[in-house]
Amino acid sequence: MTGFRKSIVVMLAPSLGLIAVFILVPITLTIWLAFTKWSSQTPFATATFIGLDNFREIFGPGSVGRDFKGALANTALYSLMSIALILPLSVLFGMLIHQAELKGANLLRTILFATYMVPMIAVALVFSKLYSPSEGPINQILGWVGIGPLPWLSSPDTALVSVVLLNVWQQVGYFTILIIAGLTQIPQSIYEAARMDGARGPALFGFITLPLLKRTLLFSAVIALINAVQVFEPVALVTQGGPVGSTNVMTYHIRRVGIERAQGGLGSAMSVTLLLALVVTVTAVFALARREERR
Amino acid sequence: MSLPVTTSAPGAASPAWRGALYLLMIAIAVVSAFPLVWMVLSSLKTPAEAMQTPPVWIPGTPSFDAYQKVSELISVGRSFANSAVIAGITTAGILVTSLMAGYAFAKYRFRYREVLFAITIATMFLPPIVTLIPLYRLVGSIGLNASLAGVIVPNLANAFGIFLMRQFIAGVPDELIEAARLDGASEFRIVFTIVAPAVAPALAALALFAFVYHWNSYLWPLTVLQGNSNDYPIVISLSRLLSYNRSAVNTGLVMAGATLAVLPPLILFVFLQRFFVRTITASGMTGQ
Repeated sequence: MTGFRKSIVVMLAPSLGLIAVFILVPITLTIWLAFTKWSSQTPFATATFIGLDNFREIFGPGSVGRDFKGALANTALYSLMSIALILPLSVLFGMLIHQAELKGANLLRTILFATYMVPMIAVALVFSKLYSPSEGPINQILGWVGIGPLPWLSSPDTALVSVVLLNVWQQVGYFTILIIAGLTQIPQSIYEAARMDGARGPALFGFITLPLLKRTLLFSAVIALINAVQVFEPVALVTQGGPVGSTNVMTYHIRRVGIERAQGGLGSAMSVTLLLALVVTVTAVFALARREERR
Repeated sequence: MSLPVTTSAPGAASPAWRGALYLLMIAIAVVSAFPLVWMVLSSLKTPAEAMQTPPVWIPGTPSFDAYQKVSELISVGRSFANSAVIAGITTAGILVTSLMAGYAFAKYRFRYREVLFAITIATMFLPPIVTLIPLYRLVGSIGLNASLAGVIVPNLANAFGIFLMRQFIAGVPDELIEAARLDGASEFRIVFTIVAPAVAPALAALALFAFVYHWNSYLWPLTVLQGNSNDYPIVISLSRLLSYNRSAVNTGLVMAGATLAVLPPLILFVFLQRFFVRTITASGMTGQ
C-alpha cells in the first residue's frame, strides 16, 4: 500500500508541482497584488496593501481608467466579433468537408488547418502588407469589383475589425476540426429517419445538425473567447494599440502597465478584472445553455 | 446556411448544387492559402517590384536577395537554434509529465483524484496574461530571468497534455498493465514501455501541438528574455525586421523573414497532421 501511494506521488509530482509553482502560485499572487501598491521591478515583499484603490483607479475618470475601460471594451468587441464570425464559418466549412461528400475535402481541411500552425508574428507581418492601402493586394482586388480603397489598419474605424479578420483567418481551421469532430458524433440513422419522413436540407440542418452540435458549439465558443482575449502580436507589433487607442486590447494593455511601466499592482487589478469578466461570461453562457436544454 | 445534407444519399442533390459547392470549396481554399502564397511570392521580389502600384503579384525574376539581407540583419542560425531548443525541450518535458500524470489519473484510484484533476483542467482555461506579471517576477527571483531556462521551465507541464493522455490511457486495457506488474515491471517501466507505445498516435499529436505552440509562442519569451537578444527565438528576432516594415521597399525582406519562421511548424504539420486530426476527433475535446 505504501508502495502504491509512493507511485501516485512520483507520477503526479512533476506535472502538478510545475502547475502549482508556475500557475497556481502566480494566480494567487495576482489576486493579492491587485490590492497592493507594488512595482514589478521590486520583490513581492515590497508590496503594500492599499485595499480597493487600484480598482477605484482603473474604473475611475482619470487617464488610467479611461485607457483601461477602453481596453476592456475593445477586448469585448474583439471577442464578440471573432466568435460571431468563427462559429458560423466553422460550421459551414465543417459541413462542407464532412457531409457534402466532395472530392478534395481532405485537402481543404489540410489547407484550412495549416493556417493555425503559422506563428502569429508571421500572420501579423503578412497582413500588415496585405492591408496596405496603396500597395496591398486586398485593396487592389476590392478595386476590381468597385469597392473603393479601405484604410484597414490605419483608421480607428476599421483597425479593430482588420485585426479580427486576420485572427479569424488564422483560427477558423482549428474550429472547423472541432466541428467535424462534433459532426462525426451525430448518428447517420437520425438523418435517414428524418429523410424518410420527408425532411430536406434546411430542415435537417435546423432540427438535427444544429441541436446536436450544441455542446460542440458551446465548447468552441468558450475556446474562441479564451483565444480572443490573448490577441497580442498584431497589436504589439503593427498597431501599437492605435490608431487613437482603437486596438488597445487587454493582453497588450496589461503587459504595458504591469511589466513595461512596472505598475504591478495596477496591472494585477486589471488581470483580476479580466479573469472575473471571463468567469462571469462563461458561467452565464453555460447557465443559459442548460436552461435551454431543460425546456 | 442551407447546405444539403447528402451524407448517406449521394446524388440526391442536383448537379448544379454540387457545382456550386465545389466552387465554394475552391473559393475557401484560395482565400485560406492566399496570404501564405503571397508571402512566399513577395519574399522573392526585388525592391523595385515591391514598390509598384498596383502591386506586382508574380516576381519577374525571382531572387533570394531578401533572404540574404535577412541573414545580415538578424542571426538566423542562432535564432533557429534557440527556437529549436525552446520548443524541443519543452515538448519533451510535456510528453514525459503528461504521460506520467495521465497514467496516474486514468489508472490509479486515490482520494482527491477528481478534485486534483478538476483543478488541473481549470488551469487550461486561464489566459496567460492573468499570471504574467507575478510569473515574470517569480522567475526572476529564482534566477531564471533573461535565459532560455526561464522560457522553458514554467512550460514543462500543461493541463491540455494531461487531459489528452488521461483520455487515451483510460482506453489501454487494465490486463496489459496487470500482466506487466506480475512480471515484476516497475510503474515507470510500465508507463514508458507499455502505456506509451499503446497511445503513440495521441503522443504524436501532443508532440506536434506542443512543438508548434512553443515554436510560435511570443508573449512569454519576449517578457522573460528582457532584451537578451542572444537567446531570442526566431519569432522575436523577426520583430527586429519591423523597423523596416514602414516602407514598401522592404516588403520582400519582411516577407522573407516571415517565410523562414513559418516553414518549420508547417513542415512538421504536413508530416503529423493525420495524428492531430484523429486525436482531436477521438479525445472528446469537443465537449461531449
